[in-house]
Amino acid sequence: MQHSIKRVVLDVLKLRDPPIAEFALRLCSMPDIEGVKVTLIEIDQNTESVKVIMEGDSVDLDYVQKMMKDYGAVVHSIDEVEVGKRIASD
Amino acid sequence: MELFKSLLTRARLYIQVTHISDIARRYFVKNGMDGSMTVLGIILGAWTAKVEQPNIIVMAGLGACLAMGVSGLFGAYLTEKAERRRQLRTLEQSMLSDLEDSLHQDASEFVPAFAAVVDGLSPALTAVISLIPFMLSIVGLLPIWDSYMISVVLTFITLFALGLYLGQVAKERMWLYGLQMLAAGVIIAIIVFFLGGLEPV
Repeated sequence: MQHSIKRVVLDVLKLRDPPIAEFALRLCSMPDIEGVKVTLIEIDQNTESVKVIMEGDSVDLDYVQKMMKDYGAVVHSIDEVEVGKRIASD
Repeated sequence: MELFKSLLTRARLYIQVTHISDIARRYFVKNGMDGSMTVLGIILGAWTAKVEQPNIIVMAGLGACLAMGVSGLFGAYLTEKAERRRQLRTLEQSMLSDLEDSLHQDASEFVPAFAAVVDGLSPALTAVISLIPFMLSIVGLLPIWDSYMISVVLTFITLFALGLYLGQVAKERMWLYGLQMLAAGVIIAIIVFFLGGLEPV
């Protein structure tokens, strides 16, 4: 049985515009995404490092990266991925 | 309708990302004032020379309008294009990656066109307001000498309104900005009056 990604934690470098609220709203408008959390880690003159947590029935990582690129952001690393019917605990 | 809404949302996003609204506001007021003042000069000059054919004033005004509009259109487009290209390169250097096909690249192509439209249309808009009485004269609805008076008053009102808008932008006393703008028009009128020995009929 094919499982899908339920939750990902990403380290993202984005431009300061659009601001993180707008950025989070855009990410949340993606299909099968139920919740997005964007946390500001570091701020620079033109860029922001943010931690992005996305949860949903099926998180399409390729589409996430495409969406990020469209909004002037790049995924530096995929820090956590959770797959399956139940979220695995540590 | 859906397509229009989505285009409007996208345009709003471009404006937000590039912060073009501040620049567009400046372009609008500065060039709007240029349009009003240029036509005021033409009208006062024609009044001094006692021009009785309204079509001459309308054509001279529209010609000046067109020249200002085209100059604004190309000037703003090329200036903004160069600035946005430069800014895009800076952003790419900050990101250490290219921004091809991104919102920022699309915005940097949209913004020069937006600035050009504002820059090109604002002088035409304010100038046409001042020329309306002469257009009415052409169709025989207004005597030419009344057109001069009404046109000068309309131009002063336009300048005052631009000043009020600036006052609103600055969130300060609007009427003070209005009066400052009006003063510019009055100064032009006084200068032409003394230079040409203007005798309103």
